[in-house]
Amino acid sequence: MKIIVYLGTGGVGKTSVAAASALALARTGVRSMVITTDPSLRLRTALGLADGITEQQVPLPDSEDAGELWAALLDVRATLDEAVRLYARAGMAQRILDHPIYATIASSLVGMQELMAVERIDQLRLRGFDRIIVDTAPSRHAFEILDKPALFADLSSSRKVKLVGRTYKLVSALGLQSIGRSAIDIYAKAEEILGVNLVRQVLDFYSIFYPIAEGYSRRAERTVAMLRDPAVTEFRVVTTPQKAMRDAAFFTSALGERNFPIGAICVNRAWLHAAPEPLPGGMAGDVLGWYSAVSESHRAAVWSLKEAYGTQVRDIQVFSELERDVDGVAALDVLARQIHLPF
Amino acid sequence: MDHQAPQPQARILVLCGKGGVGKTTLSLALGLRHASQGRRVVIVSSHPLPELGIAVSLDGLSRRFPEASRNLFVVHLDPRELLVEVVERAVPVPLVASTILNSSIFQNLVEISPGLKEFYFLARLQQLAERKRAISGASTPDYDILIWDAPASGHFLATLRAARAFETYLTGPLAAAGANLDRFFSSAANMSILPVSPLEEMALTETFEMADALSREFQLGCDALILNSVSPVVTASDADLATLHIDDSSAPALRFAVNRGLAERELCADIRHRIAAPQVSVPRIRHWDGDLDLLDQIGEWLNIPAAL
Repeated sequence: MKIIVYLGTGGVGKTSVAAASALALARTGVRSMVITTDPSLRLRTALGLADGITEQQVPLPDSEDAGELWAALLDVRATLDEAVRLYARAGMAQRILDHPIYATIASSLVGMQELMAVERIDQLRLRGFDRIIVDTAPSRHAFEILDKPALFADLSSSRKVKLVGRTYKLVSALGLQSIGRSAIDIYAKAEEILGVNLVRQVLDFYSIFYPIAEGYSRRAERTVAMLRDPAVTEFRVVTTPQKAMRDAAFFTSALGERNFPIGAICVNRAWLHAAPEPLPGGMAGDVLGWYSAVSESHRAAVWSLKEAYGTQVRDIQVFSELERDVDGVAALDVLARQIHLPF
Repeated sequence: MDHQAPQPQARILVLCGKGGVGKTTLSLALGLRHASQGRRVVIVSSHPLPELGIAVSLDGLSRRFPEASRNLFVVHLDPRELLVEVVERAVPVPLVASTILNSSIFQNLVEISPGLKEFYFLARLQQLAERKRAISGASTPDYDILIWDAPASGHFLATLRAARAFETYLTGPLAAAGANLDRFFSSAANMSILPVSPLEEMALTETFEMADALSREFQLGCDALILNSVSPVVTASDADLATLHIDDSSAPALRFAVNRGLAERELCADIRHRIAAPQVSVPRIRHWDGDLDLLDQIGEWLNIPAAL
């Protein structure tokens, strides 16, 4: 099995590139799945994910193609609910689902989307998919997917939170040395600073949530090991001409710190046609003048990117923007044919 | 200067919308414009300053727009730094404060407390908007205008919801502070909501959903809709449009530009059914790389008054 993780900020067309990559791979005769978080309505329709459907096999444009294309919508809340029902002890699941903290955790916990993607990758691996394409959240920090499970495990499954979280005052009174005096001081201080209510609510919640986090962390470790293995996983950055230099600088350094090579930088939505010379007059001239000003700056941006990062990043690909938003699998195919994939 | 009737706080202009639609550049342009006209402006960005630093050269600003450079302030509120301040205020002994800040328990607690960082962000935003000098009796306010270069729509809504969540699931002082923040940030008297979107289906859909949520949950309407990067085809008259012909023999550049423009024009025609607010169009320009004159030009296109 191979995994491609697409990273990129908002508005760069990352979801379309991810879906088109899955299509291109399916065409090589394998079972390929794209996991996406927030596709446009058009793309949802193209992938058969409209109207509340969260997983679907998508018919390939050419019926002679042998592979399979699948698409899944990552619903953070639903995936989390499922994990709670699956891993909580009897009677505990409902307490967790009804807890006031739980209501906000799925939407406001940073990195929750990435954590749930990791969970989903593991499920898909077990179901025998050959290629998994992950379309991460539109954030500069989506690669924290690689750091988060550790944080989650640290926090939720440690004995400190388990014991101290529920009754740390009682524990303190009984003098259980294993917890350590300093940990208790920190909790007392945190209550003072952040508010008694907040800290107690949070600790109370995690004291019942930890078995789920524990089960989750065990599986996540396996998946993260695969994500960290360059023989299995390739990280690719999607950007636009305007953002190319900034994104390349940011992602090469952020991933570099974690010792991950960037497999490719994909410059999407580029305007690459040359305007005819001389420009005609009238409205056509206005429109062409406007187009060529933008197009020239796009070509300059791609040139600078190749100058600056051509040796560091093995593969820099440029995809031209479609006249209209991607519509249907056939339109996705136009993009798919521009993409070079590593396997 | 237009504050004969001083308001109790700065007017907050919120530029919100999908990621990557140009909120930051437009915030800077709008700030420059108002600052040039003598208003004291603070831009609150969720991007780290070094990123903006490539954009605005302070040296260039003071030479080219001396009035604006005296009145324009840009701050980046990093939620993690805000919490450091909170701890340092609560614990005056630096050694103890740093022990707490460096402990993994505290760090984790902050990471997993939903809405905590957003809560402190809002508290700081409100502080910036309050006119401290006006309260103490002096005549000039701290800022006339606060421009909030808001995070992408989902996180923007989550930020506004954080105050309400604190009010709902807590009791005591933090809940009271949450209620206070919730009141402040759901008051149309304090805020002008200015969604930004290009004429692209996905961004528009997200903008409509955000506008619906703002109105449903916070009773906040949109004061103007900023359409960014629009094609000249969108603003062309019907007569000019009739002169455009494309067929299979047309240059690919022209075909692309016209089809693209027509698609945008179609989308534009549908917007009024969803958002009734007045529209402001900013033409698509080459990549903005810090050119102050271009920023000034964008500000002129925007032409959004301080009080809507």
